[in-house]
Amino acid sequence: MILLMPLLIALLGAFVVLGFRNPRLATRAALLIGGLEIASLVVIVWQVHERGALQVGRYLRVDGLSSFFLMNIAFISGLVLVYASGYLSHTGEGRFSSPRWFYALVFLFLFTMISVCLSANLGLLWIMMEGTTLASALLVGFYNTEGAVEAGWKYLMVCTVGIAFALFGTIVLYLAAVKAGMNPPAALNWVSLMDAVPRMGLDPHLVKLAFVFIIVGYGTKIGFVPMHSWLPDAHAEAPTPISALLSAVLLNCAMYAVMRYEVIVSHSVGPAFPHTLLLIFGVLSIVVAGLLILVQRNLKRLMAYSSVEHMGIIAIGLGLGGPLGLFGALLHTFNHSVAKSLLFFSAGNVRHNFGTLRMDSITGMSRTMPQTSAALIVGGLAIVGLPPFSLFISEFAILSQAFTQAQYFVATLFLITLSVVFGGFAYHFLRLLGGEPNSVPPSSKLIPSEYSVMGIAALCLICFGVRVPHLFSVLVQEAIAVLR
Amino acid sequence: MGLVEIATGKVLSSFSVFLFLTILLLVVARRISTSVLLFSVQSAIIAAEVFATGFRERLAEAYVVGALILVIKVVAIPRAFFGLVDHLKTSHDVKASTTPTQSVFIAAAMIYLSYAAVHSYGQSVHVPEDALAASVALILTGAFLMVSRNKALMQMLGLLVLENGIFLAALTTTFGMPLVIEIGVFFDILIGLLLMGIFTFRIRDTFDHLDVSKLRRLRG
Repeated sequence: MILLMPLLIALLGAFVVLGFRNPRLATRAALLIGGLEIASLVVIVWQVHERGALQVGRYLRVDGLSSFFLMNIAFISGLVLVYASGYLSHTGEGRFSSPRWFYALVFLFLFTMISVCLSANLGLLWIMMEGTTLASALLVGFYNTEGAVEAGWKYLMVCTVGIAFALFGTIVLYLAAVKAGMNPPAALNWVSLMDAVPRMGLDPHLVKLAFVFIIVGYGTKIGFVPMHSWLPDAHAEAPTPISALLSAVLLNCAMYAVMRYEVIVSHSVGPAFPHTLLLIFGVLSIVVAGLLILVQRNLKRLMAYSSVEHMGIIAIGLGLGGPLGLFGALLHTFNHSVAKSLLFFSAGNVRHNFGTLRMDSITGMSRTMPQTSAALIVGGLAIVGLPPFSLFISEFAILSQAFTQAQYFVATLFLITLSVVFGGFAYHFLRLLGGEPNSVPPSSKLIPSEYSVMGIAALCLICFGVRVPHLFSVLVQEAIAVLR
Repeated sequence: MGLVEIATGKVLSSFSVFLFLTILLLVVARRISTSVLLFSVQSAIIAAEVFATGFRERLAEAYVVGALILVIKVVAIPRAFFGLVDHLKTSHDVKASTTPTQSVFIAAAMIYLSYAAVHSYGQSVHVPEDALAASVALILTGAFLMVSRNKALMQMLGLLVLENGIFLAALTTTFGMPLVIEIGVFFDILIGLLLMGIFTFRIRDTFDHLDVSKLRRLRG
């Protein structure tokens, strides 16, 4: 029953919020529902930690891996909802673009992402993954400007086609499972698939074919190069809270789906094939995104390409495998989420105050907006992977795994990219923050809803960088246990 | 042998040919309405295939899926498309970026490619090679329509053709996925089309045209 709670709260919450025509009331209702939602997720994570995997019926299940991602969703969605309560105050009433529509769609979006993590069936996982695209497409096009409409259309088309390939991959895996003698209704079930995995190895061609389609399909949603074309547009044109949700939660959910398949495929045809594919996509993503970071002009597009780069890093961690690689990959999903949310929140403040995100038209921000600038500096230092911030730990873990396995080519490219990205961020941020101010923003002070979430995110980055809390590393270990 | 058995056998043995025919006609169609009609015919062929499979394999679920296809893909979606064309007051031209001659050659090449691609798999999974080749050809055609037609509506149609191909692949290799999953997939397609419909209105209202090849503001 407990597994149904977050789904019901999100789904009903969406309709409840839609009933409030007054923006202030809608915001308060959304915060209340969001609080309930997070509480129910925390209860699930705690129960899994105490008692192990939970299953409800044939379609819902949560184990160590999914509970780790649920925790990620709970934390980031909490930050986003609080930040949005202040951010949306300027939005007027329009068709599908008023605060109540915003929150209703956000809750639907959360519903689909939580369902992705809760589904025990790979078919349901696909349905919900497509659901994430559908729920968020209107949010990407929320502002209804030329750019937003174009980004929304592109997002909808590219991701739907990508996801169609994932459906094909799901069907091929289903075929392999049925051929291996599994009962058709159970052949998409994740637990029974894991039991039947040795038999599926008898037909390695089909399993490998399935994984190729899966990694291209779900990889489109993760934003792997060369399927990343939707990602910078959607991140840049969406309202800032949605950019944070897309980057920090949605990409991780898609990564979670790939992880699930990676385990099945590794166990049936050996880890060499899936790991090589993950490494290829990972390295390609970090190199291309790293170079594109240098030439960006728009602050949010810069963040978006940085997300592509970090998804590549996570894919490299997964592709290397091993205790440190998996630890680094999982830790990095969380760390990247926190750092990227902080950066997007800061970018939202910049847009608020200057009315633009073009970095070449803003200078001297450190004098006019000291608080936001501080957040940008903390987030920027964290995202390029400098100590004492938490991303340093996860990137270091992945890098040491690469050296342990003598993957010098990957390690070298990884290190070169990290330095290129460092140079890119330093160049952009120094021009943005330093120099003489060229215009004075109307209100440089942060409001409580902004500085509270940005403070929490920054604090989290530093705390996790100094020492990963014991309970958290236990949760990571429980997730790794599922992946091995 | 009863009439139904004969009809079943005929449907199963000949539907790939008809599907290839719809593919060739789709790539040369110049009007949106013609393309939509062809999609409707194509879905009807697939529905017949579902019913025939259900009859031969004694699968009650297949009848539900077949009925869903008849209602949704053969009737509802084409009607919605015609309604959309009327409401958008757009021209009927598909805005093809390839000439009909080029399109036919590309389609023929794709059909040949599909046969080449499924050749090794056809024997290992014991399914008729024609059916598998038809499904791959549908997927390729759908993708081709999406990249070579500039009208937003034709991109939606390309997506539907692509989805038909994936559905056919599932049907021929495994007699379809479990019913619950199948219904979920249908639901996703419907919502997806609804959203794309909303976006076509927005594109027209913000840009005054429906030519998605001209949406090029966001780059780099």
